[in-house]
Amino acid sequence: MTQETSQKPEYIFVNYSVPRIHRWSTGRYMGKVYKEARDNKRLVTNRCPKCGELMWHPEPMCGRCKVDAGDDWVEMSDTGTVLQYTYLVVPMWDPHRGERWANPHPLATILLDNGCYIYHFLEERDSEKLASVKRVKAVWKEDGERGNGINDILYFRAIEE
Amino acid sequence: MANRVAIVGIGQTHHKSKRPDVSQPEMGNEAVRAALADADMPMRDVEAVVSTNMETFEGVFLPDHWMASQTGAYMKPGFKVNTGGTTGASGVEEAFNLVAAGLFDVVLVLGFEKQDQGDTTAAITTCATPVWGGGFATGAIGEFAKQALTYMENSGAKEEHAAMVRLKADRGACRNPHAHLRLGLNTVEEVLKSGYLVWPIRLLDFCPQSCGACALVLASEQAVKKITKKPVWIADMVTVHQLPFRAGIFGDLTGKDHYSQEIAAEKLYKRNGITNVIRDIDMAEIYEPSNWEEMNLYEHLRFCEKNEGWKMVEKNMTTIEGEFPVNPSGGVIATNPIGATPVIRIAEAALQVRGDAGEHQVTRDVKTALATALGGSNWSVLTLLKRSL
Repeated sequence: MTQETSQKPEYIFVNYSVPRIHRWSTGRYMGKVYKEARDNKRLVTNRCPKCGELMWHPEPMCGRCKVDAGDDWVEMSDTGTVLQYTYLVVPMWDPHRGERWANPHPLATILLDNGCYIYHFLEERDSEKLASVKRVKAVWKEDGERGNGINDILYFRAIEE
Repeated sequence: MANRVAIVGIGQTHHKSKRPDVSQPEMGNEAVRAALADADMPMRDVEAVVSTNMETFEGVFLPDHWMASQTGAYMKPGFKVNTGGTTGASGVEEAFNLVAAGLFDVVLVLGFEKQDQGDTTAAITTCATPVWGGGFATGAIGEFAKQALTYMENSGAKEEHAAMVRLKADRGACRNPHAHLRLGLNTVEEVLKSGYLVWPIRLLDFCPQSCGACALVLASEQAVKKITKKPVWIADMVTVHQLPFRAGIFGDLTGKDHYSQEIAAEKLYKRNGITNVIRDIDMAEIYEPSNWEEMNLYEHLRFCEKNEGWKMVEKNMTTIEGEFPVNPSGGVIATNPIGATPVIRIAEAALQVRGDAGEHQVTRDVKTALATALGGSNWSVLTLLKRSL
């Protein structure tokens, strides 16, 4: 076999792209969230019988207390207070779906009125005005468009109180 | 009584954004050869191999299978570990446990990541379950953006302090021949000119995507005597995991949440009689995905009081020449081949204990060092290294 004499190395690559189709079970606990959101525009979760904390997301065991979390189901409020927010300055990948987001994609940690924290989008898209968004209420998708659990809420809209 | 375990071989590649010249197994093999050369040991003397890598980043879920010849695992026990950002340290902990339990005398750990073979942020799509909802995070950068906001609000730190952390890191990286980003930054203003990615995290506030590998050879006390005169003893390792959904993963404005690194540090210090961290430990290599998180970690790891991490930076306490050096290698914001990153933290801390860190050897005599790993939803692995037990 002859020796290579080229000064500039040639790098050879293999392009590899495999779309994968997945079908995840929502299960007994998150399945209830999906059903209530789709049918009744309600957020629900369960309460740990030991510490009394609302779980989010609902689960069969409380991680902190390590006990059966049971079926004490509670309707969560769909109004709350923005605890913290951020927004994209350059486009990023959606880590759940592999799609590019448009900017500014304002995201917030919201303290719902019955004590649960959730992450969700804000309707306000002007980064200058985001700081003034405090009290918010969920805006749900229309009938027939729901079926994606917590994503059945489009975003949270600023409200005056 | 568990067997004592020491690091007897340390090897790493040069870390870069792209390595088109090597395949993934070849890159891993570079670090394996370097660690075996450091231990002055033939591959056949390795009894078991632990590999650590974030396999979906490159898209092949059994990478260790395809590199058994390159790691020395052929016809020997081989293990694969993935715990998210902490992966490399979990691999070291598995090797440590295997040797401490008396199952093997010599175990090699290899951490590797070739991020030019895929899209890392897109690959993190495979980290979260789609059932819990889509789009409510902006990957790692978004989480650390929220941490930065919380830190600013709670501690009073300014963007200038975060920029000072990046300057410190860059000065270390420029003295570390293996580091990826060696930018030659001179002023805080240069850092503050870099654009925002996810507000308020700037490009220069965050870790890069690197290709690289790092290997360690661990040996039992019995085997150590035949291998090296400069063992670095693993005095202890502690792992703590957390829950995925909370008000803030890395910084919690409510003040109600527990951080895994605080719990892990409490356990580690208590078990090892450490009552004053910056007196009892001589330096640390910590896993800081952003410069903001570095200041936060100073507090969680009890290097200082709450809300005073930025003051350590302001006083230059954590520079290479400082009272308590942190990340003289340049840290994660200079070099981040994810599956290898926590192995590098332990490797760099071990080099400091041996006095073999070269240009980035710290001024303080290092008899005891701390290495940390951070990942997942605030998961932590801490490693305490000593020159003698």
